Amino acid sequence: MGPLTVTRRHALALAAGLVSLSRPARAVPPVRPRRIAAIDWAALETVLALGVVPVAATELIQFRKTVVEPAVPDRVIDIGLRGTPNYEALTLAEPDLILTSNYYEVQRRNLERVAETLSLSVYQPGLRPYPVAEEVTLTLGRLLGREAEARAVVAATGAGIARLRDGLRGVARRPVLAINFGDARHFRAFGGDSMFGEVLRRLGIENAWATESSYSAAAPLGIEALARLPDAALIVVPPIPVAVTRALADSALWQALPTVREKRVSTIGPVNHFGALPAALRFARLVSAALLRQEGRRHG
Amino acid sequence: MAEPVHINRMPTNPALLWGGLALAAACLSAFQVTGHLVAGVSPRPGTAPLDGIILYHSVLPRIAVALVGGAALGLSGLLLQRVLRNPLAEPSTLGVSAGAQLAMTVALIHAPALMDHAREGVALAGGLAAVGLILALTWRRGLEPVAVVLAGMMVALTATMASAALILANGEYLFSIFIWGGGAMAQQSWEPALTIAVRLVAGIAAAVLLSRPLSILGLDDASARSLGVALNLTRFGVIGVAVWLAASVTAEVGVIGFVGLAAPALAHLSGARTQAHKLVAAPLIGAVLLWLTDGLVQLMAGIDGERVPTGAATALLGGPLLLWLLPRLRMFEWPSLDRRPSPSRRSRRPGRLVGAFALIAAIAVALALTVGYGPEGWTLSTGKLFSRLLDWRGPRVAVAAAAGAMLAAAGMVLQRVTANPLASPEILGVGTGAGVGLTAVLFLTAGSGIGLQVAGSAAGAVVVLGAMLALSLRSGFGPERLLLAGIAMGALCSAVLTAVIATGTPQAFALLRWLSGSTNDATPADAWFCAVTAAVLLTALPLASRWLEILPLGDVTARSIGLPVRRCRIALVLYAGVLTAAAALFVGPLSFVGLIAPHLARLAGLGRARTQGAGAVLIGIGLMVVSDWLARTVSFPYQLPLGLFAALLAGPYLIWLLGRNGPRSGQP
Repeated sequence: MGPLTVTRRHALALAAGLVSLSRPARAVPPVRPRRIAAIDWAALETVLALGVVPVAATELIQFRKTVVEPAVPDRVIDIGLRGTPNYEALTLAEPDLILTSNYYEVQRRNLERVAETLSLSVYQPGLRPYPVAEEVTLTLGRLLGREAEARAVVAATGAGIARLRDGLRGVARRPVLAINFGDARHFRAFGGDSMFGEVLRRLGIENAWATESSYSAAAPLGIEALARLPDAALIVVPPIPVAVTRALADSALWQALPTVREKRVSTIGPVNHFGALPAALRFARLVSAALLRQEGRRHG
Repeated sequence: MAEPVHINRMPTNPALLWGGLALAAACLSAFQVTGHLVAGVSPRPGTAPLDGIILYHSVLPRIAVALVGGAALGLSGLLLQRVLRNPLAEPSTLGVSAGAQLAMTVALIHAPALMDHAREGVALAGGLAAVGLILALTWRRGLEPVAVVLAGMMVALTATMASAALILANGEYLFSIFIWGGGAMAQQSWEPALTIAVRLVAGIAAAVLLSRPLSILGLDDASARSLGVALNLTRFGVIGVAVWLAASVTAEVGVIGFVGLAAPALAHLSGARTQAHKLVAAPLIGAVLLWLTDGLVQLMAGIDGERVPTGAATALLGGPLLLWLLPRLRMFEWPSLDRRPSPSRRSRRPGRLVGAFALIAAIAVALALTVGYGPEGWTLSTGKLFSRLLDWRGPRVAVAAAAGAMLAAAGMVLQRVTANPLASPEILGVGTGAGVGLTAVLFLTAGSGIGLQVAGSAAGAVVVLGAMLALSLRSGFGPERLLLAGIAMGALCSAVLTAVIATGTPQAFALLRWLSGSTNDATPADAWFCAVTAAVLLTALPLASRWLEILPLGDVTARSIGLPVRRCRIALVLYAGVLTAAAALFVGPLSFVGLIAPHLARLAGLGRARTQGAGAVLIGIGLMVVSDWLARTVSFPYQLPLGLFAALLAGPYLIWLLGRNGPRSGQP
């Protein structure tokens, strides 16, 4: 560490308790960004899927636990919560491109002080997330010089879902409802406008949740609402709060639901609720495996 | 002591009013029940038994839980208010709900098995710990109402913040906070209703058995002792029962705000005078309040879920009700809160004290700018690294300092204008009012600039303060009335914010982040704006010091000196509103600095308006800057809520000071 040098600029800044806006004009942005930082998880997934390892990303502890794939190499620096990224850590990671989304618009002014910032939003009101995610993947591919990889990811995801759809063809057709538990009495449903809803459609499965859910963090439903959907197969998406499993086992209402009585409930592995193509494919794989297992149980 | 109680006739017969409200609630429930009965006889095969099950295991228990839960909270509030002789005592202000919630959050994360088997025990332990802490802290002050509520709000806020921080740190944020904090009523068995009902019956029995000592406890300690009541034993017994009731409700359905506070007050306002009347009326009113609220919440619920959790909605219903009834009451029967803050030592050398606070603030700023926690552990940044990090730390520190200064000044002004030691932007709901204004701007305009946001939040803050002023001017600034109105208004505004956050849009996301209070996103432009605003506004503070000196002495004195009391008040309230709005926009509504800083300055020995103002502003700066620094470094790179540290830092010191200047220690 060098000696503490206080320049005139710092002295002025300290006097006012803040720093002037004037920074030396940044060098022309590099043609091909090499050091990527990801605020948004959908962008993080996509970048990793393109074979690019970012220098920094948010909430990696939680990402490894709840998104699982693609895996994040250890050398990626964790820069804290998505809502409040640590700008000091971000600056020290020296990115030359920051990827964010519409949910973090407030941060844009500060992110742009670190490096060039690109907002790529998979989830926008009125737009179907799957085609948008494809578009985002291709855009990132062009930007990072990985166009071939991007096209491959789009094609592989589409083909993967199509293959899974074929695999499900012989299986008895029921509407499927994908839900996430808040506690033992509340869930939220993934409607047709969510990424999972759209993957179900692409798998050729009817989504039991007919209404558009405007899938949000809130507006939980009581589990008695599940009684309205007696024919559905239920896919439970983690995270599942610890107390839920036991509470449901004791719940007369839950046990009385036709779906539960007829063992049409499956809990799948963790997957990103607001993900991009990798999450879509992972969800498709998990759901079709679960449905095939359910079918096997019924016949076996 | 025994002042006559004057009540303006309630516009309607209270029995009629509550009967009508109960009838409305019953109609809503009947609507729910018949919905399922009709579906039960519908031609669709296979669904009939299920509808019966839903009716029996979900709809009916939900009604029962609302009734017994509301009654339990009403009784709990009544007992606490009685035994502590404090009209503001209730499970929320005493930290019972928050303590229970924190204990359950900790248990959920670190000992999930415990939550499976002893959910209520965990909640009870948390609630008792919170109340025990508050009582221990304020014991030496003879459980003086102001001290108890101060300590209570501090403990409650700290516990709430700690729960939020734990949940945030575990990445589960939105969903679980929303359900849990909100108090959601959906049921799927009779167990919660039965559990609460058993506690309620036990509580009522205990209250009846204790009714004689309880009514004596309403007198002062000396009279109670001379009548042979085992004072402390009875007191602790009653408090234990009240905490048990509230903790079991929290354990079963989450935090239900406001019922415990409103039900006893409403019982009193409806004409229940004797102990026995109140024991009947308060639980009944609590039950009706919660029942009706829950019915309305279900009525408003769309196909995709309930818009507002019932626990927050109680404030939407009970808040206006309380606000409407308050002016119709001339005098509370409760002994008044300490009107004048207890005499504190006055420093002979206030200048030196102010200098010391300035030095501490300067040290805090230097610390926050140079010391940080990074990938390599603790570092003292120097040279090039320092200049890079200064770009980030500078604006943060500037915003924190400016906001701390403005909140402290606002709190000092409000406390002097209202002659109320508990008045502060946080408690009078001014901060959350600013939030509602901000919400309106965020939703009505796309991509609004900072100017518009300031205008919106200032408008919200001033409207809330104006409403407070109008309400309390009708019959002088009674401290209890003002605080009750403030808490009601704050609860109302928070309920609006909760409902908006429930929409889950990007704006809601921004609002949630604002609520948690963080300076993380401060830009240099924000910093300049905040600093300049603070500098401009605070230069007016010394100019107002004469008014601030005279107003607490009372209207008669002030008028006799020739002060235009009314105009002074309005000007000062506007001033405090603008200060709060500018600060809250950047650090959220829950920092607590506005409450604490003026007290710290006063208790430290700065008694005159001018020096207290200077001291409070400097303390506000120091507190906020250090809190912000801790929020940034403690769990690097993850950032914690700012308010947690503000409460953690200042709370113990404030309480120590309160204890040191106990009322029995004689005049200095």
